[in-house]
Amino acid sequence: MTTAVDSWCYVFGVVPAGARLNPPGTGLSNRLRLVECGDIAAVVGSPPTDRSLGRASDLLEHDRVLADLAAGGTPVLPMRFGAVLADEHAVVDELLAVHEQEFRAALDAVRDHVQYTVKVRYVEDVVLREVLADNPEIERLRRAGYGDDEATFERRLGLGELIVRALEARRPADAERLLDELGDAGEVSFRQLAAPEEVLDAAFLIPRRDAKGFERRVGSIARRHQARLQVRLVGPSPAYDFVGSG
Amino acid sequence: MTSALQQRGGGSGYVGRPAPSGLADVVEMILDKGLVIDAYVRVSLVGIELLTIDARIVIASVDTYLRFAEATNRLDLYEKGGKDLPELMEGLAEGGARGKTKGALGGAKEKVSELIGGSDDDEQPRRRPRERSRQGSSSGSTRRRSRRSEEEDE
Repeated sequence: MTTAVDSWCYVFGVVPAGARLNPPGTGLSNRLRLVECGDIAAVVGSPPTDRSLGRASDLLEHDRVLADLAAGGTPVLPMRFGAVLADEHAVVDELLAVHEQEFRAALDAVRDHVQYTVKVRYVEDVVLREVLADNPEIERLRRAGYGDDEATFERRLGLGELIVRALEARRPADAERLLDELGDAGEVSFRQLAAPEEVLDAAFLIPRRDAKGFERRVGSIARRHQARLQVRLVGPSPAYDFVGSG
Repeated sequence: MTSALQQRGGGSGYVGRPAPSGLADVVEMILDKGLVIDAYVRVSLVGIELLTIDARIVIASVDTYLRFAEATNRLDLYEKGGKDLPELMEGLAEGGARGKTKGALGGAKEKVSELIGGSDDDEQPRRRPRERSRQGSSSGSTRRRSRRSEEEDE
């Protein structure tokens, strides 16, 4: 089936019907509108028809539209980037109507909540010193020059592997401690860690009224551990990590 | 309320401030999280090309190991007349450690920006079940989760 390209709908997310939209922007959102179906609605814009989708400006616009909605207090289910449907009928028939019940439930779950993502990494030099102090074998190899540029590939590799293992062994206790210190922070979604020096990458669904308190708690934890942990707080943002996969 | 791009410190100077790689945070979130439905399949049905692809790159563990081996070498240099510990701590206190985490950590960041910077690889859009895994601690291999999005000038 082919449809006219100007009917394509880029879907940003799902909101309650009647939600107030911010003024249209540029690019993806220059024809920003609601496509409604019963109690719920899709926030749609127009994908580019003369070039591929996925440029940096597209990604940023996706995020901006959703963040603006959430900032205005509208419950929003953010779509993962890249959803395009053939036209508004398809938005109703293939997206909203078939998922109406679960979308309504999901909107209730994120209503009056915001997401914060807490990302924690070791301060490299500090944790490496800890690793060396706690692992005589690693320290011995280092002193023997296994980390030198002139060392053989195998030696450098062997030393590096031991360090990575040691970092991974330290991680669970540090992560647990941070979570304890955060206390009962509501629903948590853990992301997979990408690198050995990462300690925690977790999204928290926080009631809007508790947002400031959560920020303060993260701030004080960051301060407490600043010598060895680098804490980053991303948010408040729409609840990207707390919407089902449909 | 801020978007994912903007990070705030909650009144504290110790929580990370907006990083130059802010786009990376957005990219990570909107490409990897959020509602996934069959609509993604439609992207190809309507004939639009989606540049966002699964570039879930497995950085060879080799690279990671070498990075850390090299990092200890650098520690050694400090001891031989580089920074001493008090100086290091001072730097940490004021810089939120950002400036001191070059080396192994910096390497990872650069990889992300390279990805965002783009290349010409186009692959089919695809779906992937979302994960909510707790502390993926792989022993040995290091998986890096990121995707590539192409950004080209017209």
